[in-house]
Amino acid sequence: MNSDRMSNDSMSDVSTLTNIDAALHELLDRPWLCIVWDDPVNLMSYVVFVFQKLFGFSKEKAHELMLLVHNEGRAVVATGSREEMERHVQKLHEHGLWATLQRDDKI
Amino acid sequence: MSKFERSGAAFSLDLTLDEAHILINLVEQLLELLGEGDFFHHYDMNDPFAQLMSLQHEVVAPDDPVLLRLLPNAYNDPEAAGDFRRYTEPAIRSTKQRVLREVRTHLAILVDEDKAGTVADLEADTWLMALNDLRLALSVRLEINEDSFDLFESLPDEDPQKSIYAVYYWLGWLQENLLTLL
Repeated sequence: MNSDRMSNDSMSDVSTLTNIDAALHELLDRPWLCIVWDDPVNLMSYVVFVFQKLFGFSKEKAHELMLLVHNEGRAVVATGSREEMERHVQKLHEHGLWATLQRDDKI
Repeated sequence: MSKFERSGAAFSLDLTLDEAHILINLVEQLLELLGEGDFFHHYDMNDPFAQLMSLQHEVVAPDDPVLLRLLPNAYNDPEAAGDFRRYTEPAIRSTKQRVLREVRTHLAILVDEDKAGTVADLEADTWLMALNDLRLALSVRLEINEDSFDLFESLPDEDPQKSIYAVYYWLGWLQENLLTLL
């Protein structure tokens, strides 16, 4: 029926648009990563202290992340908008941790 | 050996006069390196005019390896790293200077009285941050790595480097000591 066909067409248009919209969103919202790098100077206990202070992590979570940095050489400590990650990097630099930010490579 | 004490929420540190001298010398050297005086000494970094003026500076990665460790590149991309420095580095420097100045004020009391004494009512966060920056600065000059402690122990006492290593490890011991009291 005519009315049904029309309805199907508009449904498929909407769904295509929704897909494009979702893809664009994913591209634009691809998060930024705040990365902390290992170094031979910062004390493990100090790194745990800084993670707790700046990110509000529990002691366990902060300790786990610190070990990840230590064992893997780096760890992602936060993800989000570029502005947020820049603020984190600023705070981490103020506390003497070696931090960088970058766009998430995965999509 | 001097260590931090905690009583309730209050932290203090007993220092010999020699220790106070060593610390204040390091703090003053680092303040000098961070450009004390010519970098927003009298301005509040939140002041829009101060921020506007800071944009006139051509901000590039510092040549001095100590400064580069204290103010590392935030991005791999040089252009993005430069922008970050232009907008954010003055605030990071300002925090580091504030923390070091506060520690300096405490130490100056002991040094001016020319005797051992107690740094009372100290801010644990401030001292942790200052001790950390002092350690980072020394670590660059000493090229600290995982093998450095063995090297330090193997150096003969008359080697002038040995005392610098000793100060570096003492600062780490102090920082660890304060962390255990939190």
